[in-house]
Amino acid sequence: MVANQEAAATESAPAATVDAMRLASRWRSPAEWEAAAAALEAEPLPSQLNTDNSSGLFAVVSIDKMSVKYLGVNHHGHDVGVVQADCPAPTHRAVYYFEMTVVNAGLKGQTSIGFTTESFKMRRQPGWESQSCGYHGDDGYLYRGPGKSESFGPKFTSSDIIGAGINYISQEFFLTKNGSLVGGFPKDIKGPLYPTVAVHSPGEELTVNFGKEQFCFDIEGYILEEKMKQQSVSDKLYLQPDISHWIVRSYLLHYGYQDTLNSLDMASETDPPANHQNGYGEPPEMYGLSHRKMLRQLIMNGDIDSAFKRLEEWYPQVIKDKTSVICFLLHSQRFIEYIRAEHLEDAVKYARANLANFLTHKAFEGLLKESVALLAYEKPSESCIGYLLDSPQREFVADAVNAAVLSTNPSMKDPESCLYSCLEKLLRQLTVCSSELRVFNNDQGDAFLLHKEVQTCERSRRS
Amino acid sequence: MNPFVWRRGKAEKLLSLPVLEECFCACRQLPASMASSKKVVTRDEWERKLRDVKIRKEDMNRLVMNFLVTEGFVDAADKFRIESGTQPDIDLATITDRMEVKKAVQSGNVQEAIEKINDLNPTILDTNPQLYFHLQQQKLIELIRVGKINEALEFAQEELAPRGEENQAFLEEIEKTVALLVFEDVKNCPYGELLDVSQRLKTASEVNAAILTSQSHEKDPKLPSLLKMLIWTQNQLHEKAAYPRISNFSTAALEDPAI
Repeated sequence: MVANQEAAATESAPAATVDAMRLASRWRSPAEWEAAAAALEAEPLPSQLNTDNSSGLFAVVSIDKMSVKYLGVNHHGHDVGVVQADCPAPTHRAVYYFEMTVVNAGLKGQTSIGFTTESFKMRRQPGWESQSCGYHGDDGYLYRGPGKSESFGPKFTSSDIIGAGINYISQEFFLTKNGSLVGGFPKDIKGPLYPTVAVHSPGEELTVNFGKEQFCFDIEGYILEEKMKQQSVSDKLYLQPDISHWIVRSYLLHYGYQDTLNSLDMASETDPPANHQNGYGEPPEMYGLSHRKMLRQLIMNGDIDSAFKRLEEWYPQVIKDKTSVICFLLHSQRFIEYIRAEHLEDAVKYARANLANFLTHKAFEGLLKESVALLAYEKPSESCIGYLLDSPQREFVADAVNAAVLSTNPSMKDPESCLYSCLEKLLRQLTVCSSELRVFNNDQGDAFLLHKEVQTCERSRRS
Repeated sequence: MNPFVWRRGKAEKLLSLPVLEECFCACRQLPASMASSKKVVTRDEWERKLRDVKIRKEDMNRLVMNFLVTEGFVDAADKFRIESGTQPDIDLATITDRMEVKKAVQSGNVQEAIEKINDLNPTILDTNPQLYFHLQQQKLIELIRVGKINEALEFAQEELAPRGEENQAFLEEIEKTVALLVFEDVKNCPYGELLDVSQRLKTASEVNAAILTSQSHEKDPKLPSLLKMLIWTQNQLHEKAAYPRISNFSTAALEDPAI
């Protein structure tokens, strides 16, 4: 039988090379996950005009800080009423966009819209100074720094709605007038960029919209189109045929989802296009497959006692060290299962006998404290640590045991491969590459986050 | 209004500031010794970054489930639901229907496939004239394959020819297909590939996509597009830095950065 052969082959293999606690990122509670995902996107958004640094001499900002009006009598180029937003444009996204409405074009119609940096000289038009850009109403020109102006789009005047945006995917600025795209140009300014508007002749007045009101321009459609452009570029890349199938198969092997694997293989044999498997060779994760499957089932069903017994029988080296991570995880899970079954007395007894000696180990402290704290609640599943009673916690323990069993395979040279499936390694690589690429783009743009990706496939299904 | 004419001297002085800033940024990213070449990320550094990534098991499970469902592995999807506790993102019963249609096309039973599609949702063919045409074309191909010449001619004249009038691309396809009739030895016919299995598969996957779309499910699994995204992102990053890449997706082994 395979079982004996495997066990015999592994007598001498060390089981301690795998740090199963590294899988711990998995058992963060769902709430924590949501928070972590949200934190990535939680950037301050411009919501109103900044009245602290505005050139108060030449313009007045309304009480709601959403509109600005020219005050002075303009004589020269240094008496512009220019106002920035209260914070820079957010960068953790594909596109940022805002709009202004020209309420009154005043005497000369010299309103403008654009982006400036923090150090911008607050008496000048956006685009007149370096590190700024602006689209001006009186000539329809685009200004991109001293001496750099070019004919760009139509002029604009009273009641026109003008928008300015940053496309972080293509690294471009873009401008819109009354809901249509006027054009784009390369984003060559670095550092945080403030949405900026200006008025420059008597009577000029404009209001801004940072997204609280519906935009005149279809920004959602624009973003979708820009993303599709990027998608179609990557769609043209060559992918080895059937590589996805291979990766899914090795994932099933890695975690011991044997029934799924068998069904998949059966379907692939009868299904002509899915003559997969060729060319890639058998992954090393066939090892101990049926044992790993059974251990997973036992743990997922909460039957930790049987899991212990099976391990003792098949892979004694995995639980030989009574203070190992695996023993700790299994014991704490056993304790959690007592709580779930509301056998509190047994839980306490079990903790005293089996968990107390782990208290001295720093690495286990967090999980141990939280597990024990379950005792304090009348309804532990509704408490803040209720996630310990959810099935992802069982799955974490099952995955840890799975990794430990894989590590007993003498031909498994790389301890990383015990912890991570091929799929996970690729996803990790994608996550790191994408965030490194962001760094090169001055921390701008969308970073890859698997959680967000699988959510969008759910969302698109619902809509 | 352009006030630059009298300000040019001043502007040049201002320009030096951002230039300095740019140098500063560049130095921060590059060790001084190699300021001219690409940034190098060592294997150790990279592995540390990889370790810090947080990926949720449930999310990977969902990705796998999405693959099984979209590719139509209904039994595997059901087993995976039980083994991993992941809920499929579509009613599994609809997969069975979809796969039956697909299988019918793959085995050359085009008429059966058309009937099944109409049983599933009659609007699918109504709203996809191209798909309907390709199915009819496939039907003609199958008639020619089994040597039912008369039937094939009749079908071409009565059903296909009118469709060629409505669309130039259809007409060209019809011409190619009918050309198969002229060659006794179809292997030497320039359009012989129409008789190939790959043509059936092409039609079958088109049918598959149309049914998925009608069920408001994405027509392609997520995984291949993520793999492509990985290729694309690695290429982009490669232009800016030397870092450990993964070229072989079946082993996912890191390669040492080429310096």
